[in-house]
Amino acid sequence: MTQYSLAIDIGGTFTDAVLFADDGRTFVDKTLTTHGNLIEGFFRGVDLVLGRAGVTPQSVNDVVVHATTVVTNALIERKGPPTGLILTKGFSDILYIREEHRYDMYDPQIEYAEPLIPRECTFVLDERVYADGTVERPVGEAEVEEIIAQCRERDIVSVAVCLLNAYRNGVNEAEVARIFAEKAPDIFVSVSHDIAPQMREYLRTSTVAINAYTVPITRPYLNALIEELGHRGFKQQPLIMLSNGGVIGAERAGRTPVRMIESGPAAGALVASHFSRLLDKPELISFDMGGTTAKACMIQGYEPLVTGTFEVDRRYRFMPGSGMPITVPSIDMIEIGAGGGSIASVNSLGLLKVGPESAGSIPGPVCYGRGGTDPCVTDADVVLGILDPDNFLGGDMRLDAAGARAAFAALGERLGLDVEHAAWGVFDVVCEQMAAATRAHATDRGIDYRGLPLLAFGGAGPVHACMVAELVESTQVIYPPLASVLSAFGTLVTPAQIDLVRSLVARVDGLDWEQIGKTVSTMVEEGRAALAEAGIDDAEMQFSFGAELRYLGQQSEVKIALDFDPRKVRDADRICELFEAEYVTQYGLKLDTMPIELVNWIVTASGKTPSRGSGVHKRHDEQPAHKTRTVYLRGEATPVSVYQRADLRVGQVLDGPLIVEERETTSFVLPGWTLALHPDGSMIASRTKGA
Amino acid sequence: MDGVELQILWSNLIGIVSEQARALQRVAFSPIVREAGDLANGLFDQRARMVAQAVTGTPGHINSLAAAAGNLLADIDPETLKPGDVLITNDPWMSAGHFFDITVLSPIFRENRIIGYAGSTIHHTDIGGYGIGSGARDIHEEGLWIPVMKLYNAGEPNSTLFDIIRRNVRTPDALFGDLAAQVSSANIAARRLNALCDRYGLVDIEALSDEIINRSEEATRESIRKLPGGVYEGESRFDVPGGETVVLKTAVTIDSNAGEITIDFAGSSGPSRMGINVVPAYTHAYATFAVRSTLNPDLPNNAGSLAPIKLKLPDSCIVNAKYPSPVNARHVVGMYVPFPILKALSHVAPDRVVAEGSGAVWTVQINGRDEAGNPFTSSMFNYSGGMGARASKPGLSAICYPTGVSAVPVEVLEASYPIVFGCKELERGTGGAGAQPGGDGQRISFHMRTNSPWLLNTVPSRLHEGPEGLLGGADGAAGRYEVNGKPELRAGKIEMKPEDEVLMVTPGGGGFGAA
Repeated sequence: MTQYSLAIDIGGTFTDAVLFADDGRTFVDKTLTTHGNLIEGFFRGVDLVLGRAGVTPQSVNDVVVHATTVVTNALIERKGPPTGLILTKGFSDILYIREEHRYDMYDPQIEYAEPLIPRECTFVLDERVYADGTVERPVGEAEVEEIIAQCRERDIVSVAVCLLNAYRNGVNEAEVARIFAEKAPDIFVSVSHDIAPQMREYLRTSTVAINAYTVPITRPYLNALIEELGHRGFKQQPLIMLSNGGVIGAERAGRTPVRMIESGPAAGALVASHFSRLLDKPELISFDMGGTTAKACMIQGYEPLVTGTFEVDRRYRFMPGSGMPITVPSIDMIEIGAGGGSIASVNSLGLLKVGPESAGSIPGPVCYGRGGTDPCVTDADVVLGILDPDNFLGGDMRLDAAGARAAFAALGERLGLDVEHAAWGVFDVVCEQMAAATRAHATDRGIDYRGLPLLAFGGAGPVHACMVAELVESTQVIYPPLASVLSAFGTLVTPAQIDLVRSLVARVDGLDWEQIGKTVSTMVEEGRAALAEAGIDDAEMQFSFGAELRYLGQQSEVKIALDFDPRKVRDADRICELFEAEYVTQYGLKLDTMPIELVNWIVTASGKTPSRGSGVHKRHDEQPAHKTRTVYLRGEATPVSVYQRADLRVGQVLDGPLIVEERETTSFVLPGWTLALHPDGSMIASRTKGA
Repeated sequence: MDGVELQILWSNLIGIVSEQARALQRVAFSPIVREAGDLANGLFDQRARMVAQAVTGTPGHINSLAAAAGNLLADIDPETLKPGDVLITNDPWMSAGHFFDITVLSPIFRENRIIGYAGSTIHHTDIGGYGIGSGARDIHEEGLWIPVMKLYNAGEPNSTLFDIIRRNVRTPDALFGDLAAQVSSANIAARRLNALCDRYGLVDIEALSDEIINRSEEATRESIRKLPGGVYEGESRFDVPGGETVVLKTAVTIDSNAGEITIDFAGSSGPSRMGINVVPAYTHAYATFAVRSTLNPDLPNNAGSLAPIKLKLPDSCIVNAKYPSPVNARHVVGMYVPFPILKALSHVAPDRVVAEGSGAVWTVQINGRDEAGNPFTSSMFNYSGGMGARASKPGLSAICYPTGVSAVPVEVLEASYPIVFGCKELERGTGGAGAQPGGDGQRISFHMRTNSPWLLNTVPSRLHEGPEGLLGGADGAAGRYEVNGKPELRAGKIEMKPEDEVLMVTPGGGGFGAA
């Protein structure tokens, strides 16, 4: 019997659907994201793709995986129900004071987002734990009951608890949670030692506040999804993509939505890592451009880079520091406000600016004909002739080319340029912005980006990737199959995985192996439970171990992977060896006289990586037919060959400029580049001059 | 060199030096560097001109470091430098104005030629002598003075210097750890700069640095030319530890032909007996900050963008420290330097200046013994008050301005030293009212977990004079500093009983425009 698996990725503009059959057939579709009720778009995508394949929900007998922007939307829109925050008495302004730091030293006009949970919903408890874990004052039950009463008055349905030094000893937080569970079981409680057991009160409070704020939006959403899937006859519980690049059961995901924030982008990075293996290119730049933003991620040694902290909702010119920090493991990527819906404008100095404001999916670019009036990047692509207005989504969505031209006529007038040159200006500027951000991201991580292949995906990625590649001195662009829905596909090649971190601070020369054994065993059991919920058999579960260490007196840790199970092997010397080797790699020195301190134990529990291939039809038998259309390359009318992707064949090399169309996206290859089809179905553009 | 090529190389240089700064912060031991970011990193060309700086750190350090490379290389002939050499100094007049700030400069070799220098200045935990604070009576009481010398000679450590440091500071391990971080971060910068030269086929970066510095200088001059020429005046008054009131007066001359700004401090207070005197490099650092943040905050900082801003300092003046004046807590005055300049500029660019704010961050250092009797000396830590209001936005509350540091998190301090905080919350209503209100200050209290007496060294300011509102805005509230509920009037290092409780309420910021 054919095994079908289904993936739905809800992004800022489009909802992508992929149905994969284990006989190699793959069906894809995309529909506009329905921001009022995301589930509507989810099932619209499901219906489209099932209809395309002609199968029923009952026949989807493998996984249903879901990546979603629901948490990010909740944070940006700020329309969630009232959320409470419980802090240690005397420290009620943690979210207001932050780190007392200006993220731009010279710009006196900087701004910060308002705290997610306002002061009126912040409560304090007269309790105290010292930095060594000693409880100076326990939690008073009456005080918590008083807070519960106040929560009731304010209709608070979810609270965050972040008490000082709870990363070291969470007993007071646990007591608060216990009292809530007893007296107010309907109020959801997120505690910091569970969500982000890390030192630094602002970072931890910000993280747990985000979790508490998004739970009342995420859980009903996921529950409705589970219910509707069951109602329609799907047999499987959905799995949810997490920011760290693993999937987990929906029920568990709903309790820690803060781990889902980069759900879609993480899926994109995972699929880039999949193609890096498939094409044997251990290093590449993953470049994902959608309707609202573009993301770049560095793949190193076939794996995406992972970071421990990141930021959401940057409020001031997309600048680092202007958003809310989060400390949970996440794929390390740079996100810039440049997408198909980014709005072009002319500033007071007469300079052309693109983004970060976006027309999103509603009203969307002018050419969508949904009431948008501001010229967007997608409008520029239509004006330039790169996108065919009659063939967008295979003609299912007709674009208003005249409207786009009119918008660019107005923009061009302010710039003193004709329509086509103004449109090319937008194309040029948006590509340069993405290239600049990618360069900075790579260099910051010590990566020489030059010459690395670019893997282009997302609805707008293949349109702009070749230009971006020129700007980052890349000589190759890979256009994988299913480029426009690749993130959705990525969730299908992702193993179930959960990363667990627990603090147990001790000098390596004085480790308490009994305690370590207990702690690590608890983490393994927690991981096992999470994997079981995700439908993984015991036999398929894998556990790997790691630790974070530093020299005594430092506060930044270096992460190492252990090549043994610390419950069975008690090898402190090996731990030191691994730490010093990693330290030398990262910083070029080691400090022989300094004692080493172990801070965190890490357990990664994962299922097997699924072996779902990309499932592409290969055709070797036809000459590619092509049409020609006028593209305004650098503003000048140029005849450009237009191919259909399905007509390409392996072995033939085509010269740019050229356009390759498929239903969901368009790839644009510049002059000076050639394009060839790789046997696995990817198209690869190579630079032939000026490289 | 065309605009695109220059843009790419330039952003690469800034990337290199920013990476150097981040590496330094990650491996640093003292909280003041790794948490507060009290550091500066700069990349210099063959001619010791700062061509790029990290986009982190503090204006006081960065703009001082800009001059330091030239000062060091005036003392040690670059012709004599070998691969593996590392230069060091903490001379206040050569770098950042007090002994705590140690500057390390490494030549970057390409084949056998020096193509530039990677430098850093960071605030070390301890440098012996008096410790943090303004109480020393001359500079020699303030700690160990390291003249310009080699920390490493062709890769070999200068063991004499290491031995001297070890015997003269309270926290040698932290100091050596942080020095190692400075040295290794410079090595990273050297590798990256060589890789950049390989990629783009450059023999050195001289042509590139000419382009960057010339274009930056021209852009700065151009932004000055847009202002109406003339002489504009501004004055700022504030009180310092011990109660003395300091006046900084500036006459800002805008030469709109040459595109140059000259800031004359004539009429400002004379030298102080306290350790709050400011060396010229540090004065210049904060003066240029005021101008640059008003005129062209987007332009990267380098020798060119700093060049058109000139200073005239009277001979006997608190912002022109002369040997042997004590300078330890020079930030207390130095961080007020921008305010009279901003007031002067409010006559020509009212929409871009900031009203007077709380000013210098309050710094604290503690030492003593923990409950088990083990001695400790804390790193300096700092707290901010309210920022002054902007023309169209309120002032930010509890935020470091004009300095670029952060506060060390409560949990990090409590994990590092036997300190326990009682509160750290905003003090609402301390910002001055106005069309745009000033930012609020904050209330912080702490005590120690100890059975022994301990030493407290707090450097507050504005305990009497709150910051002035601008263009009709109301003044911000002055600060409060109390021990066991009573105002603490003693300046400098004071002896505390084990159970004593310290309270600090930092000042609010001034309002902007009539409410």
